Amino acid sequence: MVRELLPRRGTLWTWTTQGFEPKPPYVPDGAFSPFAVGYVEFPGYLRVEGRLTESDPERLRIGMDVEVVTLKRPTCVTYAFAPV
Amino acid sequence: MTDIAIIGAGVHPFGRHEGTTALAMGAHAVRAALADAGLRWDEIEFAYGGSEDGGNADTLVSELGPTGLPFTNVKNGCATGGSSLVAAVRALQSGAYEVGVVVGFDKHARGAFENDPADWSLPAWYGEDGLMVTTQFFGMKLQRYMHDHGLTATTLAQVAEKAFQNGALTPHAWRRTPLTIEQILGSPMLAHPLTQYMLCSPGEGAAAVVVCRGEVLERLPDARPIWLRAASFRTRRPGSFEVFSPSLELEIAPSPTVDAAREAFELAGVAPADLDVVEVQDTESGAELIHLAECGLCEHGEQAELYATGATRIDGRLPVNTDGGCLANGEPVGASGLRQVYEIVAQLRGEAGERQVPGEPRLGFTHVYGAPGVSACTVLAR
Repeated sequence: MVRELLPRRGTLWTWTTQGFEPKPPYVPDGAFSPFAVGYVEFPGYLRVEGRLTESDPERLRIGMDVEVVTLKRPTCVTYAFAPV
Repeated sequence: MTDIAIIGAGVHPFGRHEGTTALAMGAHAVRAALADAGLRWDEIEFAYGGSEDGGNADTLVSELGPTGLPFTNVKNGCATGGSSLVAAVRALQSGAYEVGVVVGFDKHARGAFENDPADWSLPAWYGEDGLMVTTQFFGMKLQRYMHDHGLTATTLAQVAEKAFQNGALTPHAWRRTPLTIEQILGSPMLAHPLTQYMLCSPGEGAAAVVVCRGEVLERLPDARPIWLRAASFRTRRPGSFEVFSPSLELEIAPSPTVDAAREAFELAGVAPADLDVVEVQDTESGAELIHLAECGLCEHGEQAELYATGATRIDGRLPVNTDGGCLANGEPVGASGLRQVYEIVAQLRGEAGERQVPGEPRLGFTHVYGAPGVSACTVLAR
């Protein structure tokens, strides 16, 4: 196992929306509103799955540039991808 | 391969059955399969069976009779029925037994499946964050597939439209009301590009088959055998795109479906073009489209034309999921693989009633795919 630092920017390889509130172990943070998830491609490295900060399908497209941001969740601070 | 036949097939209706346990449904399906075969439970030498949430298959002996037979439980996600059948075929081929039963049954809570990250060697945050949802995988694999192969939501809706039309003709199906393309496209968006009616629902049901070595038929003159020309079972290779993957390699390997289907056709010595009727896993509309191509039944991207021209309807060139598939029957995980086999047996015997494929079909195929990268296929012939 080797630790590698990934670039901050990548491209959206695929995505979908989460249109209904997931069952546990999902931890809700307030009233549910749909969110999007995707795989972001970091050329030369790999693709990473994560939540997207944009949830409107009209504003998401395969190949768009995204950057890594932090996302505060009730049980942890995690990463997410934001369109740039 | 040694001649292996299916001589009995039975189902318990699919849907919601308040007050009926999954094991009771499993026992019902076994009894139906035995009656179809003209055999008694005490004539069965071994059994394989499984469910995801419905209990231990081997406890069915308390319902069917504790004859002492070896009864092995199988748990392979959505591929449970398929892999149980493959295990039974191998047991028959080994020469250890002549006749056995394979059963799958299930009963799931309403709504999407619940999965614990720890069961999948994943960290807790993956579930807490809302990533442990199977429909996300379906949506993401499909979104990329449609981008790469130029498919549109219209084709997704046509898959569901066909499923509910076929379900309406299938007595044991759950969803028996046809829906229009507009109703399907207009239902709530659950996992873009998949709307509610493009996704199957976890449900309840059971299916069972009686399998035997060919020589057993000499003492069963009334049997209506369907021959298992091939049964294959594969798991994933490095780099395949599977559910619950926090990361993916840049080079995507073919799905285990590709390997399982290829192996089935090689074992059977037939080509996809020879098939008269097929069942492929349609946990959502896109899965049916992708699996058809992964199984080699069409080219990638050819699906738009196949569905626009009605080629996959019961009276089409390649009838697909003539019983309505998972979309119309729901997805009781343990049962679905054997439901497919039940359907192909019915079609090849000419006993499929209103949904019968015309022209006396001779050769059929089944395909299941399960998490996290399991696929099982059969080739069946009369």
